[in-house]
Amino acid sequence: MSDNNLVVQMKGIAKVYPNGVAANQGVDFNVMRGEIHALMGENGAGKSTLMKMLFGLEQPTEGEIIINGEKVSLSSPTVAISKGIGMVHQHFMLVPSLTVAENMVLGMEPKQGNKLFINYKKAVEITEEYSKKYNLFVDPHAKVRDIPVGMKQKVEILKALVRGAKILILDEPTAVLTTQETEELFKELIHLKEQGYTLIFISHKLNEIKQITDRLTIMRGGKSMGVHETANISKEEISRLMVGRDVVLTVEKEKAEPTDVVLSVRNLEYTNEWNKKMLDKMSFDVRKGEILGIAGVEGNGQRELVEMLFNLNVPDNGLAKVNGKNILGRPQREIRDMGVSLIPEDRMTFGIAGAGTIEENLMSDRASEKKYNNGLLFNLKAMHEDSDELIKDYKVLCKSRRQPVGMLSGGNIQKVVVAREFSSEPVLIIADQPTRGIDVGATEFIRKKLVELSREGAAVLLVSADLNEVMELSDSLIIMYNGKIAAYFEDTSVLNDTIMGEYMLGLKQQDAEEIRGVLHGE
Amino acid sequence: MENKHYNMFEIFRGFIAIAIAIFVAFILILICADDPGKALECLLIKPIISNGALNTKSIFTILARMTPIIFTGLAVCVMFSANQFNLGGEGAVMLGGFVAALLGIYIPMASGVHILVAVLAGTIMGGLIMIIPAVIKVKLKASEMVCSLMMNYVIMYIILHFLNNVFADRSKGATQTYPFLNTAIIPKIIPTSELSWGFAIAILATVIVAYFMYRTRWGYSIRMIGINESFSKYSGMKVGSIIVLSQVIGGMLSGMGGAIEILGRENAFKWLDLPGYGWTGITVAILAKNNPIMIPFAALFISYLNRGCELMSIYAGVPAEMIDIIQAVIFLFFAAEHFLSGTRQKIVVKDAKEELHKKELATSGEGGNA
Amino acid sequence: MFHQLVDMVFSASFGYSIIRITSPILFAALAAVVAEKGGVVNIGLEGIMMISALFGVLFSYWTNSWLIGVVGAVVIGVLVAMIMAVFALKLKTDIILAGIAINLLGGGGTVFLLYLFTGLKGNTASLTTPNMLTPKVNIPLLKDIPVIGQIFSGHSVLTYVAFLLVILVWVLLYKTAMGLRIRAVGENPNAADSVGVSVLKTQYIALAISGALAGLGGAYMSMYYSQSWNIGIVAGRGFIALAAQAMGQGEPVGAMLSSLLFGFASALGNKMEGMQGFSSYLVASIPYAVTIIGLVIYAMSTIKKVKRFKDSDK
Repeated sequence: MSDNNLVVQMKGIAKVYPNGVAANQGVDFNVMRGEIHALMGENGAGKSTLMKMLFGLEQPTEGEIIINGEKVSLSSPTVAISKGIGMVHQHFMLVPSLTVAENMVLGMEPKQGNKLFINYKKAVEITEEYSKKYNLFVDPHAKVRDIPVGMKQKVEILKALVRGAKILILDEPTAVLTTQETEELFKELIHLKEQGYTLIFISHKLNEIKQITDRLTIMRGGKSMGVHETANISKEEISRLMVGRDVVLTVEKEKAEPTDVVLSVRNLEYTNEWNKKMLDKMSFDVRKGEILGIAGVEGNGQRELVEMLFNLNVPDNGLAKVNGKNILGRPQREIRDMGVSLIPEDRMTFGIAGAGTIEENLMSDRASEKKYNNGLLFNLKAMHEDSDELIKDYKVLCKSRRQPVGMLSGGNIQKVVVAREFSSEPVLIIADQPTRGIDVGATEFIRKKLVELSREGAAVLLVSADLNEVMELSDSLIIMYNGKIAAYFEDTSVLNDTIMGEYMLGLKQQDAEEIRGVLHGE
Repeated sequence: MENKHYNMFEIFRGFIAIAIAIFVAFILILICADDPGKALECLLIKPIISNGALNTKSIFTILARMTPIIFTGLAVCVMFSANQFNLGGEGAVMLGGFVAALLGIYIPMASGVHILVAVLAGTIMGGLIMIIPAVIKVKLKASEMVCSLMMNYVIMYIILHFLNNVFADRSKGATQTYPFLNTAIIPKIIPTSELSWGFAIAILATVIVAYFMYRTRWGYSIRMIGINESFSKYSGMKVGSIIVLSQVIGGMLSGMGGAIEILGRENAFKWLDLPGYGWTGITVAILAKNNPIMIPFAALFISYLNRGCELMSIYAGVPAEMIDIIQAVIFLFFAAEHFLSGTRQKIVVKDAKEELHKKELATSGEGGNA
Repeated sequence: MFHQLVDMVFSASFGYSIIRITSPILFAALAAVVAEKGGVVNIGLEGIMMISALFGVLFSYWTNSWLIGVVGAVVIGVLVAMIMAVFALKLKTDIILAGIAINLLGGGGTVFLLYLFTGLKGNTASLTTPNMLTPKVNIPLLKDIPVIGQIFSGHSVLTYVAFLLVILVWVLLYKTAMGLRIRAVGENPNAADSVGVSVLKTQYIALAISGALAGLGGAYMSMYYSQSWNIGIVAGRGFIALAAQAMGQGEPVGAMLSSLLFGFASALGNKMEGMQGFSSYLVASIPYAVTIIGLVIYAMSTIKKVKRFKDSDK
């Protein structure tokens, strides 16, 4: 293969973040002109970091980047843009209070004759022109905060094109889209490819990759696992490279013997600030001794559901009770005192206080307990003993309990969170994406613990976008779609990817009778 | 140990910041002093040594001036630890001093009890007044910073009203109250100096605040809220109450500082303007990196410079206000997270590499047992 | 007494003094608006005003020209804002702490600088000559209209600049590329960064504009309002401006209305001072108290709005 065909060459890239996390190690990454190239890997595999470096948002600690045969130093997005690189971020890089046209021209504003004022009419014209040329329909006058997600994404793509991007990085573009929107997007992407654009497509959805990409690079644990022709590699092989063969995916677990209802949710409804109905009459029960999984494409109300159950948000309507006592709108202290634990999805925001020590983080829910206080002062001895024990039991890799928790790796941070949440003798554990973005070892450990606790009698509500996880761990399972329960499976052993996919993408929907199976109480 | 690297680095950074400030001071002195050598001597040496002997009087003055700024430094330390940018220390100091003064003038009490009651009253008033910005912050989400800043002026004018129109001693040329009763005056540690037992109380307060912040559930909650409020809420802490508590404690410490300053250093209430200790307290807290135990050392440093600048203005004609410039420079560099950050990044990368290397060794040694 | 008060409030001279008192706060409030729109809290306004006020006097004294004095004040305002910007934006000093440091400079530092440059201690009253003060402007036609003329004509040239700047700042923010960038950076810095709008550069510019506006406020104080510089000259106006920005919802016109409210309270205080039965000190506290109350009312109304929105969903 001649180097002339390579538009992007990244050689021996390493990245160490200021907090000490080594996100990339010796990565080689090549993209050919005019191809759709998939960059695959689990969360935390280092794909985002790699792409941030290609777009100038981060600088590599080691290695070199060659664009169109020219060695470049991408010190900022401006430089990357000038080299013809554009990026469509997963979290849209749009300014909500500005209009679509304003967002389009931000940084390259057309001026009036006097060079002083913005020529807004021209901005609208440019938007319309590109919109037409690439078949990406947007409303130039609408404020970005008022338009639907699909359109926001189109604005993002147009933004890159209008800036002369020839190489387009798309960071999990389908994560936020409906099936129909995804199909539409794919048509648009293929259209772009036909016009000579090069696309880098970050995803971990096998079907999508198979459908539209030419080649793929797989990343795992910050390293590249090689590049392959999409046509010549099987899904199983991709899966093996992504996940790694040494991981035993099946967690040994005895059959659940659920007893009393612990958490009972009835008709929970929530409309978010953009007037989108995120939860629509959700009703379900979780029983003592079982793991109830909640699967679904992200953004279908899972996050909101968890927020309601821990009073991080207030529902419009509905009931949620733990052992017969209401938990909606109650202070977190009270919810915790009822025996509810939460592994939060966003562990850096809710799970830990990064600058605090490991010990301080382990004690955050219990520092006021009698056990840890002698009158006015802390009983430091008890705290130290219990912290050391938790660090040992949960295999937190650290130098001492005095180390700031923010300096640990993602997996170890999550172990600190889990150690705290699992050790409070919970009757109900809500685990929201408990192993997202963490290493295989920590993942396995946390999953085993979760099963162990449920078999010891805790009720577990497991929310996960990781299909493997939710299928392996759950005793029974709900699939959420559009704020509703699309399906309920009493027994997860009958499930496979295909069935799950159909419900998750809204192609199928169980009838009310089948779904009612999840209600075990009155 | 990476922690050790960081700590050493932080200390190094602090020294550089101070060195830059002193350097700026040198340059200013060179520009405006008639005799720069003498001015420098006044700034650096004269506060403790004059004419070849220890200048004990000056040393006691330095210690005496530490007292109020230890209190306000502690106050800022507690409030900033909770991430509350309450800048009402000024007002709380003045209010605490005024209330203590009134009790010291008008309510006769037994000696011993009198001081205690007066100081406590000042402390409580300081705490009460901070409820206003704190509650407005917690209940209405309005900026505690703007509110507390405005409050300083309201407090000042109300005190000036009472001082001028109600409690003024008309027999004096300057505006001031009647003198304190003897029972209300805090005795001196060293009779002829300015140094009162208030200094000892300040040191005691430092120890108590340190214990409070690091050994009690409330101090712990304050610190955790300061690091990550969402986390604290999720962990089940009463975030709103603790935020109010942090500001009330800040107000109490400031009020106590004002009361002790007035009853320990003056014989009547004479403040006609906000005393400035609240702002200095912020500098002190920044220098101490919000660590209560370091507050007296930071206060000593500022107090020393203050004395030096004063001597410089007396003997070398350099205006004493140079202290503010020095303070500002130290302040800016000390709080600058990215100051010398290139060096820090190198340490991080080195540490991370070592760790990776160790990990790889460890895993290969285990032979894939995991 | 009440009658006296009512008469006074409806007098033309009262209207005149509202505008006179509002002007410096308006400059600073606009300075706060621009900085805040760019995502920077400029708590150093107080200090910038102090320093600019001093240099306004010095420059006009050295050149015997009020115009050069004003320009000098603006340049110094920008310079000080840039010092703050370097620390806050580049070296990552917390912006509030950087502002406090600037205020320290403005407090004692100015006394030192005054001595350094002139040998004077504490104030510049002895330097003042008529040429150094910004001139009053009588507006033709308008000045002859009864009442209206008395209220709106005969102010310092800077007063007209201040109110003109309300419009200019609005145009800057909403009609120019720079304004678009400032707003984008303030609302979503990542978005701005991703399209090559330098967040740092934009915030530098926002702070520079903020410094220039505060500099004008300083010049107004020392070269018109107080007719000379002294240590107590700004007296918290920089802080009040922050409150006015917050009350005015961060918009130029809103900030102007809030500044006028403060000007009204302050003018009322000044007038009451002269009357029997009012304590000048208590009266002096009114504007600050009004600001707190205004903040509270504004905060309450925003919270209610959110609630109403939630309720209307049901």
